[in-house]
Amino acid sequence: MYGKGLRPLSIATVAAIVVSLSLVFFYAPLDADQGFIQKIFYLHVPLAITALVGFVVGGVFAILHLRSGDSRWDAYSYVSIHMSVIFGVAVLITGSIWAKASWGHWWVWDEPTLVSFLIVFLMYATYYPFRYAIEDRERQARYASVFAITAGAFVPLNFMAVRMAQSLVHPRVFATANGGLPGSMMLTFLVSLLAIGLLWVTLVKFELTAKSASGQLKRLRRALDAPAPGGASRVAPEVS
Amino acid sequence: MLLPIATPALPLDEAGKYVAGAYVVFLALIVIYVAIMAAKLQRIERELRELAGFVESRVNGDGQAAPGRGSEEPSISDSLAPHGSRGGGT
Repeated sequence: MYGKGLRPLSIATVAAIVVSLSLVFFYAPLDADQGFIQKIFYLHVPLAITALVGFVVGGVFAILHLRSGDSRWDAYSYVSIHMSVIFGVAVLITGSIWAKASWGHWWVWDEPTLVSFLIVFLMYATYYPFRYAIEDRERQARYASVFAITAGAFVPLNFMAVRMAQSLVHPRVFATANGGLPGSMMLTFLVSLLAIGLLWVTLVKFELTAKSASGQLKRLRRALDAPAPGGASRVAPEVS
Repeated sequence: MLLPIATPALPLDEAGKYVAGAYVVFLALIVIYVAIMAAKLQRIERELRELAGFVESRVNGDGQAAPGRGSEEPSISDSLAPHGSRGGGT
């Protein structure tokens, strides 16, 4: 059920990534200030945007779960957050590499953008122990949804707070009064964002498909072991 | 902390290793994830084969317990079942 359309989506993702990499390395001009190192921008920023949007999407799915009680929305929420955490790891690592190359430091604690992303990441890292500390599956799903909604609401608030903070280090390249990215860089960035977004969707779908198969397998096993109305197992009776 | 904001661009030979490092790290993460998922899918496939073999043996009249019992621990996978099999409610 979840695997429907996974193959064309995977092909589209691979094609988008190939086009994106081609644009990054053969089309986008070198940045006048940072030179070749700025190429990390086309990976790091789309990853960060996708991860943050993924956290919010996880919150939206959690709302749908609480409203409908349908456990599929909980699964969507879980997988969205899970994938965004993985993307978050990539954001932190690529960001550190870029910081080291540009600023000479792996991490800068007085930079609001970096620290706020780390806070969001660590907050979502607590999602797993929080979720699996609850044994009852009904409560587990409900509490995880409440967490996902609360944390999902925190993400845009956090983003706005950081935008309002004055920073001399982290440049604002979108929608700034004194100019943003030139056209060729913007095109490359948008294609990269599309590619990373498609990758996120594909991996979410892939994981949902795998989890669905695993869940169906467990149900099948339980059904095979379930006792028949007469008392004995329907499929696996006691052998005397 | 004083940051070298206006430092000149790194030369290509030095910048290249950082750019390559960032892209390789990303690729490695994706490869590790896909490898983990592939291992899970292999396990599912193996368990399906076991179950198919079990059902076939049942049809042939050999009674035995279904393989893989005892795996009813709480799991996100269960919540994906179409009609919900959570908490013993169904």
